[in-house]
Amino acid sequence: MNFDYSQLKTQFQQTLAKSNEPAELTSLRQAAFQQLKNAPLLKVTKFNFHNWPLITNQVQSFSLSEADLQLTDNEQVKVTVNPQVIAVKLPNSLKEQGVLITDLVSATRKYPQMINKYLATVIRPEENQIAAYHTALMNLGLIIYVPQNVQLDGPISLTVNFEQQRTTNFHLLIIAGKNSRFQIIDHLIASQQQETPLTNFTEIIANENSEVHFSSLDHLSQKAPAYYQYRAAIKDYAKVDWAVGLMNECNTVGEIDSELIGEGAHANSQLIALTANDQQLGINNRVTNRSPHSQGLINQRGVALGNSRLIFNGIGQIIHGAHGSEAEQQNRLLMMSPHASGDANPILLIDENDVEAGHAASVGKINQDQLYYLLSRGIPRHQAQRMVIRGFLSAVITAIADRDVRQKMVNILERKLKENA
Amino acid sequence: MAILQIKDLHVAVKDEETHQQKEILKGVNLKMQTGEIHAIMGPNGTGKSTLSQTIMGHPNYHVTQGDILLDGESILDMPVDERARKGLFLAMQYPAEIQGVTNAEFLRAAINARRPKDDQISVMDFLQELDQNLELLDMKESMTERYLNEGFSGGEKKRNEILQLLMIKPSFAILDEIDSGLDIDALKVVSRGVNSMRSPKFGSLIITHYQRLLNYIVPDVVHVMMGGRIVKDGGPELAKKLEAEGYAGLRDELGLKIDLVDEDD
Ligand SMILES: Nc1ncnc2c1ncn2[C@@H]1O[C@H](COP(=O)(O)OP(=O)(O)OP(=O)(O)O)[C@@H](O)[C@H]1O
Ligand SMILES: [Mg+2]
Repeated sequence: MNFDYSQLKTQFQQTLAKSNEPAELTSLRQAAFQQLKNAPLLKVTKFNFHNWPLITNQVQSFSLSEADLQLTDNEQVKVTVNPQVIAVKLPNSLKEQGVLITDLVSATRKYPQMINKYLATVIRPEENQIAAYHTALMNLGLIIYVPQNVQLDGPISLTVNFEQQRTTNFHLLIIAGKNSRFQIIDHLIASQQQETPLTNFTEIIANENSEVHFSSLDHLSQKAPAYYQYRAAIKDYAKVDWAVGLMNECNTVGEIDSELIGEGAHANSQLIALTANDQQLGINNRVTNRSPHSQGLINQRGVALGNSRLIFNGIGQIIHGAHGSEAEQQNRLLMMSPHASGDANPILLIDENDVEAGHAASVGKINQDQLYYLLSRGIPRHQAQRMVIRGFLSAVITAIADRDVRQKMVNILERKLKENA
Repeated sequence: MAILQIKDLHVAVKDEETHQQKEILKGVNLKMQTGEIHAIMGPNGTGKSTLSQTIMGHPNYHVTQGDILLDGESILDMPVDERARKGLFLAMQYPAEIQGVTNAEFLRAAINARRPKDDQISVMDFLQELDQNLELLDMKESMTERYLNEGFSGGEKKRNEILQLLMIKPSFAILDEIDSGLDIDALKVVSRGVNSMRSPKFGSLIITHYQRLLNYIVPDVVHVMMGGRIVKDGGPELAKKLEAEGYAGLRDELGLKIDLVDEDD
C-alpha cells in the first residue's frame, strides 16, 4: 500500500501525545502501529487493491465522540452515530439487565478489563496491514455488550453516517454473553461529498450458546474506497447469522469471516452486492470450522452492471479434528453488462474426512424463463429485468430481519438498476 | 372485435444437443376472433405448446415461413411484452416461479403496464377487483402476498394463471393445458373463471388433452393438430369422437403418414 510511513508515524505520535485516552487504548494503538510497516495485505483472490488510497495521513485526532445515553420507556434500541454525536436510546429495562451500548473510550474507562479481554482479539492488528493501521488509528468506535442470559425481543438498530471530512476508521465491538440472544441492524451511509476513505471493522464475540443476528444495509457513496473486515468468534453452540447488503457506490474490498471455534458452533454468512459504473468490489466470505459438529453456510449473490468488477471468494476451511462438521457454500453472480467482469470462486480447504462439504458457483445471465414469464404479462423489459434480479437476490434480502430495512434495500436496488439501465 | 390469424406458419427450434434446426410446425392455419372459444387437441409432441409459445414470441422458436396477424398487423417483429400489451395472453403449461416478487405486486405491474403513466390503477380499485376474482376462483387472499408461484402446488399455479387472466383482461387468451393436474373441483373453478370472461371482447384458444374440460368450457370450434399441422376442424362433437376413438383412427381416416408417440410399431 502506498503511503508515507515516516509522515504517518510523526503524525501518529503527535496525535497520541495530545489525546488523553485510557492507557489500555494507547498501548493497543502503539503495539498496532509497530505492525504497520511489515504486515502483509489481506489476500483477496483475483482482486488487486494494492494501489487504493486506504491509508491516509488525515487522522488528526482520535477524539472518538462520547456517547450520549438516553434512557427510554419504550422497547426500541436505537443508536445514531454521526460526526458530532453518538446518540444511544436504550430502554430502561435493558439497562437494568446490564446491556451496555457506548463509545469505546467511555467503555475502556469504565470497564478496562472487558476491553482488554476482547478488543482487537478477534481481528488482530498483526494479521494484515489495514488491520494494523485501523487499530492504531481508530477514530470512531462503539461497543455493544449484552450480558449472559439476556435476550432482546426487538433489534438494536444502528445508523452510522460517515459524513465527516476526515478519514474514518470505525470499529464496532459486539459481545454476546452466554445464552444471550439479539439482533443488530446496521445501516452505514456516506454521501458523494465525502472524499476520504473508510476502514470499517466489526468484531463479534459470541459466547457459549448465544445467538447474534447481524444484518446490514450499507450505502456508501464516498469518492474514496472502503475496506471491510467483519469477523465473529463463535464459541460452543453459539450461532451467528450475517446478512450483509453492500449497495455501496465506492470501491470496496474486504472480508466477512466466521470462526467456528466451539463445538456445535454455527454460522450463516449471507451477502449481496451490486456494482455499477467503474466500481470494483472484492469480498472474501470465509467460514472456518475449527471444532467438531460445527456448521458453516455461505450464500453470496452479486449483480454487476456497467463496467464494474465484482469478485466473490467463498472460502470454506475445515481444520483437522473438526469431525462431523458441515460447510456449504453458494456463490452466484449475474453479469448484466458485456463490459462488467467478475468471478465467483469457491475455495475449499478441507483437512478432515468426516465432514459434509459442498459448493456451487455460477457466473451468468439473468434467468430467461422468469424474464419471459414477466414479459408475457406485458411488463416492460427493464422493469421485468429488475424483478428477476430482485428474485435472484431475494434469498439474502429476506434474511434481513427488519421489514423497513428490507424495503429500503429494495428501493436502493431499484434505483441503482434504473440508473444503470 | 379483434382477429387473430395464423397463416401457413412454419416454426423451427434449435436442438440443444445437435445444434440443428428442427421444424416443428409445418404450415399451421388458424383464424379466430373475439367472442369465440377455440380448442386444440392433439397427440403429445405434435406442436401445440410450440404454437402457443410462438404466438407469444418465445425467443427459442423461430418462424421460418408464414405469419401471425393481430387485426391484420404482423406481430412477428414485436417483442413479447408488446404482444402482451396488444392483448395476447398465454397461460403457460409450466409457469415460472420468482422469489422476492409478490403475486400482488406482479399483478399490479402487469395491469399498470397497460395503462398510461398518469393513470395507474389505484390501490383501492386494484384490491377490490382482486378480491372479487379471488372469490370467483376460491383462492385465499394470502396467495397474493406470497412470492410469485413460489412453492405453489400444481393446481395453485393453474388457478394463479387464471387469476392473472381475469385481472389482465386480454383480448385473446391461449390456455395451454390449464386442466392438467387439476382435481375435479378445481377444474370447475378454473372453468368458471374462464367462462366469466366470455364476451364479444374476449376470445380463447384452449389446448387440452381431455374432452372433459370442454364440457365445462364449451368451444365453438375444435381443431385437431397432428404432425405440426391442423388436420381437422369441427364442433364440440369432434372432441367427443376423439375421446372415444383416439388419434390413430382419425389419422388413418385422413390418410396421414404420421408416427404417434405412444404407438407400437
Ligand atoms: N425448446 C425446444 N427445444 C427442442 N425441442 C423442442 C423445444 N420445444 C419443443 N420441442 C420439440 O417439439 C416437439 C413439439 O413439442 P410441443 O411441446 O410443442 O408439443 P405439444 O403438442 O405441446 O405436446 P404435449 O401434449 O406433450 O404438451 C416435441 O418433439 C418437442 O420435443
Ligand atoms: Mg404442450
